[in-house]
Amino acid sequence: MEREVLFRIRRFDGDKSYWQDFRFTAKRGMTVLDGLYYIKENLDGSLAFRASCRMGVCGSCAVKINGKPRLACETQILDIGSTLEIEPLDNMPVLKDLIVDMDDFFRKHEAVKPYLMREDDDYENPKELLQTPKELHAYYDFTLCIKCGACYSACPASATRSDYLGPAAITAAYRFCADSRDEGKEERLSLVSGSEGVWRCHFNAECSEVCPKSIEPAKAVQKMRLMSAIHMIKSIFR
Amino acid sequence: MSESHTRKVLEPFGWVFQMITGLLLFAFVIFHLYITHLTSHDALEYAKVVQRLSNPAIKAFYWLFLASASFHAFNGLRAILLDTDFGGRNERAVNTLTMALFVVAVVYGGLLLITF
Repeated sequence: MEREVLFRIRRFDGDKSYWQDFRFTAKRGMTVLDGLYYIKENLDGSLAFRASCRMGVCGSCAVKINGKPRLACETQILDIGSTLEIEPLDNMPVLKDLIVDMDDFFRKHEAVKPYLMREDDDYENPKELLQTPKELHAYYDFTLCIKCGACYSACPASATRSDYLGPAAITAAYRFCADSRDEGKEERLSLVSGSEGVWRCHFNAECSEVCPKSIEPAKAVQKMRLMSAIHMIKSIFR
Repeated sequence: MSESHTRKVLEPFGWVFQMITGLLLFAFVIFHLYITHLTSHDALEYAKVVQRLSNPAIKAFYWLFLASASFHAFNGLRAILLDTDFGGRNERAVNTLTMALFVVAVVYGGLLLITF
């Protein structure tokens, strides 16, 4: 199956932003990323976009397709229709065409200490940390995040407050707080329970709606919020 | 990004009480509509209102209603302001101002209730 498609791409050259149209014939099985590569190789070599693995694992190619953040490599052109409007992700400054500056996004991710913290860290004599399947399932889904930024792009709270940690970072914090092997819960909770943390979420769950890995960041944020509230209220009586 | 905000209690309390007052307001509004509109046709006459408010239980109910509504409103306003970059930069001022407005509303409304 083949169909003539129109790619309307939101371009940015450093000064001005404009729409540019590209028409070509898309074959069945072609992803939006294949389309972007086709344009770059055959129609306009100056088109800039990010991509790497082409299989939904690296999270580099997230762009807005017809208004919704998705992975270009996991979206079939013919599933979308004959007109595709492709824009860079929201809530991040655009550098060129479809490439956005994700520094802030990763800085926030780093800020919540997304790694196992233990008192008895001893790399000379590593110790096996046992976990039951139930303990694993408590956080497993949230380990699947590929940090593509789709949730952050769709989040209205991230749009109005630039220092809001965002769904991805809070999900990462919850992933470690819910891990039975972790001992850094207290520290992490104090990092996410500030005014720029979990309280800014409006729970409109747009992050869960757009997550390409279906990990439900909105659920993690709500759980993190409940955990923070209980922790804070308990800490008063300690 | 600002440094950690350990031991901040306004945010978690604000969230918990926003939910509690929201549920309370739902019941309070229904009860208020019931006694002012559904019990009798002249329930809103001045004399009837004064007579109703002479009952300490009704007075206490209206004071609780006032406190819940004020908290819900001003805490909501606080959250809206903190959702913006401007609010985030002036966090302490936003918290102080909205909570002061809440206290003023409760005290002033309480004084009005006492006069009845």
